[in-house]
Amino acid sequence: METPLVRIAPAAGSLNLNLLEIWQYRELLYFLIWRNIKVRYKQTIIGAGWAIIQPFLTMVIFSLFFGMLARLPSEGLPYPIFYYSALLPWVYFANALNQATHTIVEHQHVIAKTYFPRVLLPISAVLSGLVDFALAFVVFVGMMVWYRIMPSARALALPLFLLLAISAALAIGLWLSALNAMYRDVRYALPYAVQLWMFASPVAYPSSLVPEGWRWIYALNPMATVIEGFRWALLGQGWPLGNSILGPAAVVFLLMVGGFAYFQRVEGTIADIV
Amino acid sequence: MSEIAIRTEGLSKRYRIGQLRRHPSLRDLLEQSIRAPFRALRRAIDGTHPPGDGHSGSASRSVDTENFVWALRNVSLQVRAGEVVGIIGSNGSGKSTLLKLLSRVTRPTAGHADVRGRVGSLLDVGTGFHPELTGRENTFLSGAILGMTKAEIAHRFNEMVAFAEVEKFIDTPVKHYSTGMFLRLAFSVAAHLEHEILLVDEILAAGDAAFQRKCLQRIANAAKEGRTVLYVSHQLEQVRGLCQRSIWLDAGSIRLAGPTSDVISHYEEALTSVPANSTG
Repeated sequence: METPLVRIAPAAGSLNLNLLEIWQYRELLYFLIWRNIKVRYKQTIIGAGWAIIQPFLTMVIFSLFFGMLARLPSEGLPYPIFYYSALLPWVYFANALNQATHTIVEHQHVIAKTYFPRVLLPISAVLSGLVDFALAFVVFVGMMVWYRIMPSARALALPLFLLLAISAALAIGLWLSALNAMYRDVRYALPYAVQLWMFASPVAYPSSLVPEGWRWIYALNPMATVIEGFRWALLGQGWPLGNSILGPAAVVFLLMVGGFAYFQRVEGTIADIV
Repeated sequence: MSEIAIRTEGLSKRYRIGQLRRHPSLRDLLEQSIRAPFRALRRAIDGTHPPGDGHSGSASRSVDTENFVWALRNVSLQVRAGEVVGIIGSNGSGKSTLLKLLSRVTRPTAGHADVRGRVGSLLDVGTGFHPELTGRENTFLSGAILGMTKAEIAHRFNEMVAFAEVEKFIDTPVKHYSTGMFLRLAFSVAAHLEHEILLVDEILAAGDAAFQRKCLQRIANAAKEGRTVLYVSHQLEQVRGLCQRSIWLDAGSIRLAGPTSDVISHYEEALTSVPANSTG
């Protein structure tokens, strides 16, 4: 029988991302994701319908105001599908970020009583949102049929953009969940930040509206690439940003490494501060 | 001689007073980050004293030391595998802090502990329970949070439910449970941990007398199976019945360690002599 020896000591201060430990706790990760999904729409009438209503209603509102009233360009696509294709990853990202940010504070009771890698909490928050995404995606498929848009082979690249969205949500979520544990200001600032971020992403307008000289910096916003990627892969529009996916991927990677390091620094004292 | 399951050396934990209550705001953070370079500069000019040096006369430093409290100070102990050790002491003596450090909920400020074997922390009843989930779902969730594998939980599931006496309601959301049912199921999950080391914090204050006896029996059995138990309690009778050896913590340090009967009799003596001292 294995009897592992664990040394409990003050924080060493060096970054060692313990991937092995996360792997050892994969069953708990599975249970946390399962719990999040199970609990999310308990005691609601519409239940999982909220996963569809959120992006769908926003799409209707955008189509009315930005589309029919303001007449913003939509790359020749019908307004509803132009907006919905962007809201699909955006609503996932915004919700995942929101869940991840609050997860440490919401679990303060468990955190004070037992040990597990705390990083499982933001990871499970980000991953459990994928069920909502899948439900909203079914509606998207229905819209494709309605507008008689045939996806091309580009649709195979979609998982890549989805992965970028998941990684972006986790990277920022690591930062914000740890920051929120210490500074509750985060929870009040977050809704505004997310809203600003949405307008800094091509959700309500096409990236081609951005002046060309600014596009390279605009493209560093990972969600701009994710959204244009969705439209490119599913609706066959062009690639207005003209950037490679590597730029935003590098941004996300750096944010993720920093996020893990910061999270780990806070992790040992989280039970003392939440 | 059996092997050492827990060994701590100079284990210490310092809390900032008010840290648990007050959340620093972003303004504090900004203020700190603006001040920090100046403070570092001043320290560089002062040069000689490392931070925390007791001989410093600087006002800011004495404030620093006043803002901290040592919940546990310089605790060195050894527990052999298979031992059941009681931990007694008044409120605020560091009992819970010791268990929190050993269960890795929080990190020590100084010193270290070596722990051999999987540690199960029973610091609370119902860790991870969610009111909207059924008894069955919560059993798996809480079991996983406490460190059991899915297979272990499935293997002992019937045993846990029978122990808790909630068979009929196992598929009902626990928010509809009575307090007693909830506590029984919650304890039952924790009591079936198969970890080599169990840290138990007054969990038995839960439930009626009959169930408490059952729980004590359960812990005694765990010990018979060769597992190591650290048992924190104010119920001296329970400690006497369960633990061969006990440790008396007082103001964060070990006051006395030895055979339970000795430690408890000294402890009781001290308890009764305190009012005598203060009046006389």
